[in-house]
Amino acid sequence: MALLSLQQVSKQFGVTSVIEEVSLDINQGERHAIIGPNGAGKSTLFHLISGKYPVSSGAILFDGQPIHNRPPYEIARLGLTRSFQVTNIFHRLSVFENVRCALLWSMGYRYSFWRLVDREHKLNRKAEQTLEELGMSDLRNYPAGELAYADQRALELGLAIASGAGMILLDEPVAGMSLSEAQRAVALIRRITEGRTLLMVEHDMDIVFDLADRISVLVYGKLIASDTPEAIRANRAVQEAYLGEVIENA
Amino acid sequence: MMSRLAVWAGFAIVLMVLPLIFSSSLGLSILNQMTIAVIFALSYNMLLGQGGMLSFGHAVYYGMGGFIAIHLLNMIEFETLMLPVVLIPLAGGVGGLLVAVLIGTFSTRRAGTVFAMISLGIGELFAASSLIFESFFGGEGGISGWRDVGPTFFGIDFGQQIEVYYLAAFWVFMATLFMYLFTRTPAGRMANAVRDNHERAEFIGYSARKVRYITFCAAGLFAGIAGGLFAINYEIVTEENLTLVTSGEVLLMAYIGGLGFFIGPIVGAVLLTLMSSVVSAWTDMWMLYLGILFVLTVMFLPRGLSGLIIMHGPAWHLGRLRLLILPYTISAVPALLFVLTLMGMIELAHSSAQEFVYLGLPLNPEGLSSWLLLAGTAAVSWLALQRTLPQLRDAWETANALPRPKDAQGEEN
Repeated sequence: MALLSLQQVSKQFGVTSVIEEVSLDINQGERHAIIGPNGAGKSTLFHLISGKYPVSSGAILFDGQPIHNRPPYEIARLGLTRSFQVTNIFHRLSVFENVRCALLWSMGYRYSFWRLVDREHKLNRKAEQTLEELGMSDLRNYPAGELAYADQRALELGLAIASGAGMILLDEPVAGMSLSEAQRAVALIRRITEGRTLLMVEHDMDIVFDLADRISVLVYGKLIASDTPEAIRANRAVQEAYLGEVIENA
Repeated sequence: MMSRLAVWAGFAIVLMVLPLIFSSSLGLSILNQMTIAVIFALSYNMLLGQGGMLSFGHAVYYGMGGFIAIHLLNMIEFETLMLPVVLIPLAGGVGGLLVAVLIGTFSTRRAGTVFAMISLGIGELFAASSLIFESFFGGEGGISGWRDVGPTFFGIDFGQQIEVYYLAAFWVFMATLFMYLFTRTPAGRMANAVRDNHERAEFIGYSARKVRYITFCAAGLFAGIAGGLFAINYEIVTEENLTLVTSGEVLLMAYIGGLGFFIGPIVGAVLLTLMSSVVSAWTDMWMLYLGILFVLTVMFLPRGLSGLIIMHGPAWHLGRLRLLILPYTISAVPALLFVLTLMGMIELAHSSAQEFVYLGLPLNPEGLSSWLLLAGTAAVSWLALQRTLPQLRDAWETANALPRPKDAQGEEN
């Protein structure tokens, strides 16, 4: 059974139709990439799945449960988290605090105001572990807002995985990075998404074809193909709509 | 851990020793005012500094705590209620909490401008109601009562000022401790996270609104405790305690002291209470000076006066603070002279007396020579100050020179 299932999802802003009847199944453990030209509606699709926008029609099921039109925090609690295209971290908190906050809900702390976080050894150990996984232990005390861009992006990833979510949405995780930074980020993504389900939007085709098990192509709000990287490369409709020159260049 | 305990022990000792040093009636009354202001300002900082909610109506919870406390005192006097006076501040706190529980349901939906505007509206609403519902608020005269009522607390009936001080000191210690501990709980940590980025907080599982609501209620509780202490200390609560002026004062205290640091509002509350009693006894113009101080803080010290202190942390750790003593002293002389002459001109313009003595100097508001003397001194001291600044800057750089220390700290809250 699919872990995430989109069933004829549509989204209109006023009279403008941004997403049109998109149906897509993503299986447990799969690394799935969504590609498409600018303005195709990729980020909107992410916002619909993660609960930032309500859908206009259709249904989204996560682990068999409908999650469309539910607030982001409820979706996050079910184990579906995301990163953002624009760096979206807690900039005045230290790196360690950022990660620790991201762990709180999944470790059952809820809104408690009778427990002291510094005394919760399990929580703090988990936060240190996550920092280690991210390779950011030596930056733990820096305010997140003062980190270098690539480090902020890594922290962004860290916030998404810290909660132990089973499924992660990554919105252009390597955008704006230099080549070497991007390579490191991809290695990190590969490592931390091991055993999880990944859905990502990315423009860099090398990364997409390198990382994804399956690729979906979104053009003007419609899904025109969803298949393995090899099949997508060979797909005529995709080549015409979008990929043509990229593949020739490659 | 040990050093943190030492800080709290030091705080308790300071609270115990202060009235021995300032034992006059005026001293004690200023101290009592200070303890109330400290709790109130810290509770305001829970909202703005910790939770990112700019409130123009925090006096509502303070005032309501005060009114409930004074009514309870009256009930104790008429023996319709048995409650020791020691617990009245807590009862005031519960009053503030209940009002916050009610108002917070809709005011914490959004932070930012929406929250600020709602807080302003609620503040006006309560201030207007206080003149309409006379049986509860007592109209313009307010409600008064007596604090030496009910059963005594081990023989103490709180008739004396010093007894009130120790009661207030106990509550300021408890309130400060619990407000600090709140910042270290999951709810308190998430309050900071929501302040920084409410959207991201939702994607890690927290409802930003609920996090704000909890912070808001906690701030209401502690504001109510301050209000309850006010009722005990002054034995009267009036609509003034609810108004925008009071809400504005607590904003000034927290801001001038520094929002980013836990101790900031304490610094602000102590300083402003001192100004309002000591400086106001000396000049009618103290509100103007307060305004100027506020504007200067906003413009040049975004982290407040405590930010100015904490700025010296790196030099302190490097053991180079003493390098700054001499340059600071050299610059302080013309700076102080400049400020004093400016204040002299303000006082002179305000004065209508023929003979006006300023700092032992006889001045004449209508005489040109007095004005020239002040303006001349101001100009000379300003130029002298400019001359000292390069040395000060060099000293600052030497004192702080080092590649960025590895243990740079994020803001503590």
